[in-house]
Amino acid sequence: MIQKRPFFITFLAPAVLTAVILAAAIFEVLQYSVREFVPGSLNVGGLTLENFARINRPIYWWVLADTFFISLLTAVFSLLASYPVAYALVRAKKDWVRSALVSLSITPLFTGEIVRTFSWMLTLGTDGFINSMLRKLGLIDMPIQLMYTRFGVVVALVQFSMPVMIILLATAIAHVDRDCERAAANLGASPSAVFWRVTLPLTLPGILSGIVVVFAWTMSAFSTPQLIGGGKILMISNLAYLQGFSVLNLPFAATLSLIALVCALGSLALMKTITGRIERRLAVN
Amino acid sequence: MTETAIIHPSKEAGSAVDIVRVRKDFGSAVGVADVSLTIRNGEFVTLLGPSGCGKSTLLGMIAGFVTPTAGKIVVDGADITDLEPYRRDIGMVFQSYALFPHMNVHDNIAFGLRMRKLPAAQVEKEVARAIAMMKLEGFEARRVRQLSGGQQQRVALARAIVIRPKVLLLDEPLSALDKNLRAQMQVELSELHRKTGLTTIFVTHDQGEALSLSDRIVVMNKGAVQQVAAPIELYRQPANGFVASFIGEINALPPGRCELKDGTASLVLPGVGPLVFPTAPATGFAPGRQVRAFLRPEHVRPVLAGEAGPNVVTGKVEAHIYQGSHTITRVVVEGIGLVETRVTGAEIVASAPVGASLGLAFDLSEAVLLDTAD
Repeated sequence: MIQKRPFFITFLAPAVLTAVILAAAIFEVLQYSVREFVPGSLNVGGLTLENFARINRPIYWWVLADTFFISLLTAVFSLLASYPVAYALVRAKKDWVRSALVSLSITPLFTGEIVRTFSWMLTLGTDGFINSMLRKLGLIDMPIQLMYTRFGVVVALVQFSMPVMIILLATAIAHVDRDCERAAANLGASPSAVFWRVTLPLTLPGILSGIVVVFAWTMSAFSTPQLIGGGKILMISNLAYLQGFSVLNLPFAATLSLIALVCALGSLALMKTITGRIERRLAVN
Repeated sequence: MTETAIIHPSKEAGSAVDIVRVRKDFGSAVGVADVSLTIRNGEFVTLLGPSGCGKSTLLGMIAGFVTPTAGKIVVDGADITDLEPYRRDIGMVFQSYALFPHMNVHDNIAFGLRMRKLPAAQVEKEVARAIAMMKLEGFEARRVRQLSGGQQQRVALARAIVIRPKVLLLDEPLSALDKNLRAQMQVELSELHRKTGLTTIFVTHDQGEALSLSDRIVVMNKGAVQQVAAPIELYRQPANGFVASFIGEINALPPGRCELKDGTASLVLPGVGPLVFPTAPATGFAPGRQVRAFLRPEHVRPVLAGEAGPNVVTGKVEAHIYQGSHTITRVVVEGIGLVETRVTGAEIVASAPVGASLGLAFDLSEAVLLDTAD
């Protein structure tokens, strides 16, 4: 007998409504991207493919490549920084150590992106925390340029993405069968060999999904590169913003947004294929 | 497999494992209470007991995963109490097998040899030998997840023996298998032990496995050793009430008094009368002593109601438990309580229906006499 679920439609309604609005918004972006730009007006002209043709210029390709590059760097460094934290978070013997690590790694999620970016500006600036510390220690005479550099942007993005990476990695580490690690030790593997030969390979699915999520997330980063990059480091969202709200060329901003969306989805699909293949080969799941 | 495949040629007799007053406390709870045990070279010893009796904790201390609170563990003459697990050279098969899911069968088996940095050619040779011994030919490239329970079990065994361990530990390795496979793996385990001559410590809560596989059985309860004995001795001469009722089925008679009159030994049960021993019991019997007698169901024979004779009591049939080759009949006897008798076939189900009265003849020649305190 099929159970009737009278509330099913009602419960689904908010999700459906959200999906419809999102689809409409994306369609609107799509619609704008094929419109003519009328200089000096927010109204758009007739249908054209000129916006897409305009993309084919080195400056735009460069921004796109830089976006990929920064996202990849962020994903890799976020992984390297998060793995030890996640490992300690799962494996710490003392309860208070675990709770302390959980709060330390999750709390940043609840401070807004702007607040966090501003803190990084205070830290990275020429009179910021790092430079004044180094100067007081006598290690440098002239401040190091950290603001408005790719390095500064990546550092802030890494910190921004770490909570998510830590959660994904901790889940993977918690799922490792401790008996497998004991078996490895029993067979003569030293603690470091146990980690490299057993624990790390068994957490590979978590590592891969962490990289994919952080990569895709960073692709759409806006305020961090906007404020710390200060126009010198442009990611695709910053370029779209520039076109849309400084030049007021809404059709071209729409085209850039669309390209950003396609790139994000495309790289997600690509990474999903690669990670799927690796996971099948390891047969971890 | 020929006899040349023997991994450990039978060593001269001597002790392989010495467990000396080992103790493990978990907070205020006692996990293992001052256990001392000597295991001889090449011996197959089973740690048997209900869950929570400390058998797995003891095994964990031998493997090095659990640190003893006190006492020491000596393997092959060397004190390993504080040695890290990976330096112990002790093979172990885990209850879950703990095979490496990201490696194939070959690499699982080769792991221990590679950790020992053996030359590749030798690794291949040893792995091939272990694969042949465990009849895993053709499965080398398989993922362990693609194997059946029995095959996984054999990979786990191959992985543990290929490193030529000083001792092989088996932690309830048969519990995850279904009944038929379990019986088959019992035979294979015992064959493996015969071929390799490895000193083996086997942990189980299944008395059937323990009785069929072991040279000696260590019965544990609440962290303490109850009795260490060969299977036959354990079954026939349990040291206390716990062992008696844990190993096989047994009828516990109410406390009675030993009597010796005109050369005839008997047990006087209040309200029932004397039960006569055919010959004076070798152990536990002393005139005037208060004892409890334990009697296996196969030593209680049903007789027709009204048939008189020595050691015959009459009771009322409560239930029949038909088990195919034999039937266990539960009879309530006044003054004694519930008595189980075990006879071959199923005729008793018809000849003594539930509720009918049935005579029971006690054969006290195999009775176990224990202190009333035990």
